[in-house]
Amino acid sequence: MRNTYVWFLQLVTGVLIAVLLGIHVVIMHLDAILGFFGVDMAEVTSWESMIGRAIQGVWASLYIALLAVVLYHALNGLRGIILESTPSATTERIVTWVIIAFGIIAFIGGTYVPVALLAS
Amino acid sequence: MTEDSTELITFKVQRYNPEQDSAPYFQEFIVPAGRGTTVLEGLIYIKENLDSSLAFRTSCRMGICGSCAMLINNYPHLACHTQIEEFHSDTLTVKSLPNLPIIKDLVPELNPLFENHKSVKPYILRYDMEEMKKPTAEFAQTPQELRSFLQFAYCIKCGICVAACPTAASDKLFLGPQALSQCYRYCADNRDEGEQERFPVVDTDHGIWHCHLAGACSEACPKGLDPALAIQLLKRRLVSEAIGLRKKQEPAMVVSPPTETKPKVPFPEFTVKQT
Repeated sequence: MRNTYVWFLQLVTGVLIAVLLGIHVVIMHLDAILGFFGVDMAEVTSWESMIGRAIQGVWASLYIALLAVVLYHALNGLRGIILESTPSATTERIVTWVIIAFGIIAFIGGTYVPVALLAS
Repeated sequence: MTEDSTELITFKVQRYNPEQDSAPYFQEFIVPAGRGTTVLEGLIYIKENLDSSLAFRTSCRMGICGSCAMLINNYPHLACHTQIEEFHSDTLTVKSLPNLPIIKDLVPELNPLFENHKSVKPYILRYDMEEMKKPTAEFAQTPQELRSFLQFAYCIKCGICVAACPTAASDKLFLGPQALSQCYRYCADNRDEGEQERFPVVDTDHGIWHCHLAGACSEACPKGLDPALAIQLLKRRLVSEAIGLRKKQEPAMVVSPPTETKPKVPFPEFTVKQT
């Protein structure tokens, strides 16, 4: 059932991306609408504001989760496309491990700053 | 169009003999066609009157055997089930089914299709081997249980769904809509207990999860089956099994056949007097 779990996670991450990316888009780009509801998100794109969010556990967790689900969803989709055009057992193993390695490196790189800030 | 208003149709037929030709090429034939003339009848006319070396498969001539599947005007059809006048054109292009190797001219190699079909174990599997080997009674099945998979039992294995499938075009190892829908057909059969043997066959990198859900198989199927639906229902079975939300399906009971049967309908009277 390995492939079933892999593709079920693809569906789950798709839904999670819609939720987490939705929160990100609303916060970063729909400040006028938030202002209408009385939420003041002044200067959300400024450096201080970003660092201020990164040192808060909730925001850091949200962005780390968004990074994880986007990486899984995108890289698993890419793996599916590559495997479809290069059907061979050797290619499958190589592609799978290269994708996993790239995903881990990208995740570590992406989470380094918020984790370091939280730790400090 | 009547018999008197026969039109001359140009058949552009793909020819290919792997032992002689480096690549397929087209040959043109002029075929007289009237109302109701099928593409298969046109091909038979060519073989009988113009070029006896033309190779194509045919058997029942009434859309049952699935032998004469081919690409007609760039869409897969059964040649016996397709009338020339449907195309409203005086030129017809006929090719072998795509996504399958060519044996000769319009004859595709169907072994890959049959091998994939065999791989999903398209027969009833049960744990009570004694009953399977020496049946003592019948497996009970309600009409509702029969309807849950009946349409998929009408597959004639013509290969049209595989020819229409865009995933089969790009992934040569893809199991294909025919094998996947037949996998569902037997998994959904309440007389069967072989799911656990079939799931590992379809749960691969080139199995069910590579279906793009283009729906081309369902649109092209000459028998009106919906293989795309079967694939989706099979995905649901796999996921619910994987995450433990699956309801246990009890296998069909073994019941004795009815002792009393309805009286047979009497044989009708002969309309012609027997001498």
